[in-house]
Amino acid sequence: METAVLQVFRYDPEKDQAPYYKEYEVPVEGTLLNALLYIKDNLDPTLAFRAFCRSEVCGSCSMKVNGKTKLACKTPMKELVETWKGKPLRIEPLNHMKVIKDLVVDIDKPIEKMKTLIPWLVPDPRVVPTDPMHESIIYPEEMEAYKDQIHCMLCFSCYSACEAVADNERYRGPFAFSKAYRFQVDRRDIETAKEKRIRYAISGGLWSCVQCQKCLYVCPKGVKPAEDIQNLRGQAVKKGFTDKPGAKKLKHFVDWIYATGQINRLYLPEEVYGNKEAREKLTKAYTEMGVEVWEVPKPTKGLMKFRDIYLEILSKEDKALDLDYSHVRKIDKMVSDIFKADICTIVDKAHEEGRSSRGLISKLKGLLGGQ
Amino acid sequence: MVKVGFYQGCCFQGQDAHMFETMKEMFKRIDVDVVLLEETTCCGGNTIDEENRKLSYAINARNIALAEKEGLDMLVSCNTCYMVIAKAKRALDTNKKLRDEINELLKEEGLEYKGTSKIYHLLDFFRDVVGYEKIKQAVKRPLKGWKVAAYYGCHVLYPKEIAVDNSDNPSSLQEILKALGAEVIDDYEGKDACCGYHSFFTDKSMTLKKLNRILGGVKKVGADIVATPCPLCFKSFDIYQTNMENPPRVPSSFLPEIMAYAFGIDKDKSGLSHHLIKVEKE
Ligand code: SF4
Ligand code: SF4
Ligand code: FES
Repeated sequence: METAVLQVFRYDPEKDQAPYYKEYEVPVEGTLLNALLYIKDNLDPTLAFRAFCRSEVCGSCSMKVNGKTKLACKTPMKELVETWKGKPLRIEPLNHMKVIKDLVVDIDKPIEKMKTLIPWLVPDPRVVPTDPMHESIIYPEEMEAYKDQIHCMLCFSCYSACEAVADNERYRGPFAFSKAYRFQVDRRDIETAKEKRIRYAISGGLWSCVQCQKCLYVCPKGVKPAEDIQNLRGQAVKKGFTDKPGAKKLKHFVDWIYATGQINRLYLPEEVYGNKEAREKLTKAYTEMGVEVWEVPKPTKGLMKFRDIYLEILSKEDKALDLDYSHVRKIDKMVSDIFKADICTIVDKAHEEGRSSRGLISKLKGLLGGQ
Repeated sequence: MVKVGFYQGCCFQGQDAHMFETMKEMFKRIDVDVVLLEETTCCGGNTIDEENRKLSYAINARNIALAEKEGLDMLVSCNTCYMVIAKAKRALDTNKKLRDEINELLKEEGLEYKGTSKIYHLLDFFRDVVGYEKIKQAVKRPLKGWKVAAYYGCHVLYPKEIAVDNSDNPSSLQEILKALGAEVIDDYEGKDACCGYHSFFTDKSMTLKKLNRILGGVKKVGADIVATPCPLCFKSFDIYQTNMENPPRVPSSFLPEIMAYAFGIDKDKSGLSHHLIKVEKE
């Protein structure tokens, strides 16, 4: 029978000075949970781990294998052996939680963090009948908006793998934001609660998520916390919470991409932080290196039609007014001041000037009589 | 000669236009003709998704359609652009209603998203289209004695649906670096941490903590340089590192630069001598 070696993290805070690893030889059969049960039944009954349903429902058997978060009852031993090419498999408890014993961690902290985001329904009396004998109907189309989020089984895989939790104590955790978002898109939930959730989400680190996508990768239930977080950010801006750098960055993207087809990295620090110095420093550094500085991106060919498409989508989604037209006009003016021509002419010229974009700006300035 | 459409994003134009020339020259040495897809726009940087996901899908349906119009597959050489465009492709390929709705708008430009072009990132393009052997043959200046730390970045490994390698234990980057003759280090503290690029504007202290972990780890194992297939991770390492209180001053390289150098392109042209943290190794 094929076997594999598990190096299992062992630690009993009441007895052990420090954690240590113990090796067990287990059959490569069934899932990682089967292997752990094999150890417990045949090799070492003192090993502690959590598991209950054995079928990806209860969310209790999450742990790390060679540093990667896995749900033990969903992870075939065969797959692990293949991935790690026969190397020993180091089994450890989840990150960011206190170890109670061996692979068992204390989940109180993430649970407490989640509760700060009001992960429950605050019924709107105009929608939800107060008389308990009356049905409160949810239509299938409405369920669409949160059909994935409701499957979260609090396994804390995402919490363990999260890059934001790792470096920000306050960060509430991927699952917590998904739980909150689930009620943000529930018609029965009252507006005042939605507003509060956004405020609490912001103070709980909404803008600190780095969008690493690890939560999507590790979630055994197909919840997509990173995407819910993006949606919550959009809601925050829409509700008028526009003072955070993240909100200003979003505005930069929305306006510049519409106006030129590109973002403007040179101006990003200025528009997000009011930091003019960064642009001056960069300009100086580039000039010293002999690199041409572009105050504006090269406007994309087909820009006018691109703008039509962009605006049409926004209109269809009832978001046309999210574009800041005075900002867009400013960008247009910036472009035409630099080149002394209107944006349409520049787009045509920029394209005629061939395929390489090196030196393009000075070429264009020369051609069009700009500064 | 393999021909492929090159998606430039924001990292290969403006101040960074020379990077495209380096890429083009480097690819020539392995018989690949990279055709710049000029009419493409910013992918939205995974930020437009915060405003509206459909807008992000539409922008990228248009980007992909431009490659399809040329009858070319698309090579995306930025992890984040790759992730965003590959996610859009998945959404468009699996949701006919979305595809039809967006195609209706693209008509205006005479474009149509069909789903015929494949989206490549550098890593799978090198592995599956070029082949490690070909890379090895193109090496004129083997990176002998270079200890290179391999750093993937997140958006080529996660989420699973778009990953270009085994997300838990990837090997393509090591194989490429080995083909260049380098001594590869792939086990160091911080190798799996996010580079912090995307939080520089939203939570700067987080970026600096991550750089500390990764570059500190690279330094501890005694690597000469850290190489990454993502231009954003590279920017974080090279530019944002200078914002650290006590920068470990670890040199870094965007993968195509170090490849160009190994293929015999001179150091200045390869881009390697233009870094804020100097690459001293010869
Ligand atoms: S995408 Fe955000 S929430 Fe998800 S794991 Fe990364 S940092 Fe955490
Ligand atoms: S979102 Fe997924 S990974 Fe996170 S706790 Fe819920 S089920 Fe587990
Ligand atoms: S034992 Fe219940 S989810 Fe694994």
